[in-house]
Amino acid sequence: MTTLATPMPGNEVKSPNWVQWVAWALTIVCLAAGAYGLYLRFTEGHAAASYGSYVPWGLWIAAYVALIGASAGAFGFAAVIFTMRKTEYYGLARLAMLVAFGAFAAGMMNVWLDLGHPFRFWKLMLQTSWTSIMGWMSWFYVIYGLILVVGLFLTRKGVIPKFMERFSWVAFLFAIAFAGAEGALFGVVGARALWESGLTPILFLVEAALFGVGLVAAGALIFGGMNPKAARMLGVVMLILLGVLLLLEWAEYTTALYASVPAKSSAVMTILTGPFWWVFWGLHLGLGVVLPGLLLLFGRGNVLLTGIAGALIAAMGLATKLNLVLPALAQEELEGLAHAFTGPGLTFSYFPSTMEWLVWLGTLGLGGLIVLIGYRLFSLSTPTRSSASK
Amino acid sequence: MADIVQKENLLVRMQEDIRRALEKPEGERRWGMVIDTRKCVGCHACTLSCVAENKLPPGVVYRPVLDQEIGTYPNVTRRFMPRPCMQCEEPPCVPVCPVNATYKRPDGIVAIDYEQCIGCRYCITACPYSARTFDVGYTYTEGTPEQEVYELLPNYEYGVEHARVPGSEESPIGNARKCHFCLHRLEQGALPMCVTTCIGVANYFGDLNDPDSLVAEMAAQPNAVVLKEELGTKPKVFYLV
Repeated sequence: MTTLATPMPGNEVKSPNWVQWVAWALTIVCLAAGAYGLYLRFTEGHAAASYGSYVPWGLWIAAYVALIGASAGAFGFAAVIFTMRKTEYYGLARLAMLVAFGAFAAGMMNVWLDLGHPFRFWKLMLQTSWTSIMGWMSWFYVIYGLILVVGLFLTRKGVIPKFMERFSWVAFLFAIAFAGAEGALFGVVGARALWESGLTPILFLVEAALFGVGLVAAGALIFGGMNPKAARMLGVVMLILLGVLLLLEWAEYTTALYASVPAKSSAVMTILTGPFWWVFWGLHLGLGVVLPGLLLLFGRGNVLLTGIAGALIAAMGLATKLNLVLPALAQEELEGLAHAFTGPGLTFSYFPSTMEWLVWLGTLGLGGLIVLIGYRLFSLSTPTRSSASK
Repeated sequence: MADIVQKENLLVRMQEDIRRALEKPEGERRWGMVIDTRKCVGCHACTLSCVAENKLPPGVVYRPVLDQEIGTYPNVTRRFMPRPCMQCEEPPCVPVCPVNATYKRPDGIVAIDYEQCIGCRYCITACPYSARTFDVGYTYTEGTPEQEVYELLPNYEYGVEHARVPGSEESPIGNARKCHFCLHRLEQGALPMCVTTCIGVANYFGDLNDPDSLVAEMAAQPNAVVLKEELGTKPKVFYLV
């Protein structure tokens, strides 16, 4: 396999073929599970899901924000590489654009299937309400998807056009606006104390960058596009972002707990000590922060460890977003509401149903399929260079 | 206030108030409700009449009655608090809707266009009173040997026929739903169903812009409060405490 990051003759670390075979196998399994989930989704509708009226958003929305964030982060990473003319990482940047597209497609599939009326999605674009962040986001998605497709198409021969290098800073700014707006989607909801914070969009930006770079590192491990120098660079970026993430979370949680206003502090306590405490302590902090942090600290420049750390960070992004979406919704807004009237969906507890898990797996399979096919379709294995170097 | 309550038939008076309000242009009315928590006995008649009137399926409720316990055993007391949509003057659910499916009418009622709603449920998260529910598509007789036909009968919310047929354009299935002060009854000069059926006449309804209306008199009482006043949503549902 040819290296993605050029020029690095003789320095690339090739990935064994079986890694890609495993990726294909996992993708196919996910797609098969998703096909059955999709069947359930369209035959039984939302009745087969666990979310309802009091917890109206669940696994799919958490997955959607995690994937869209990771996509924006990977895209932003590519834009920075092109803007800074770091030609040795151009191959990595192309891979970043591809994984950004795969994550974007998977994220959009999650939110599309979550809609009560999926076939009315066109109203988002043609009858947009400009007072709604979600309305703005729907247009951002269209623009973003187009930028990704055009970017991948223009670079399919391994040559980065000059104008892409020149205007990548615009794309970078767009990625920031895009990921920040995703956070604002939650940050402006005054009814949910956990979400309504100036830190929420900032947190989304940092998480987007972290999950995005993690996804790129994991992709580079699968496709063999990382050398020790690239691994070191990716490792440093991830370590810095992990530190900033911890700092922001510390600030958000400790101020909420110290203030002790129940609307917010009870949501934070749900995260830390609620029935799903292990999502925060085990998945997010343990597998998503501490373990990858240690791998990156003690395996600086190690391609395998950097790739594994990236994969862990990207995968545990879901746990981070689950902790944002669900605990905020699982709080009784008025005392006595939980028992005032009973019925399906009129509950403040939530655990994803089998259908939700299957559909979610299917969307991951879709993202994986796009990346695996796109890798060949856009010739990502060919060496990449700037058109200026002709 | 005791005079008002004792000397006249409140339902008849509210009916007159509504007739008077309907003679005004829509934009000059301001429908509101006052709930006397001291008179509420927690019978849930309002909840159930609302379910029947609007043909609400399982999992959808417009007006639950919250049962709140005050004090610690054995020194406890209970308070019942019906919770319709607050029809906020500054409704947080409206600006978040990405397709203008939810909007505030000139008379102040916050409405949902069922044919426009995409079912994203952003409005449900934005409501500080949990006054919106998601119509998943359940029926009461699902899973039983026979699906009852009455469950598929149309409702007439917002004065429009909404057949409960999955996949049809006008069906409320897949939408956010909420209390609308029985707008379809109101426009015909009838009181909201919860007001009509309240056994203790603990609900007062009418035009808050009409100083002679019962609801305006009650809302002006010094013991009238609104929920979560600090949010600035300016609810048009008041509670007498």
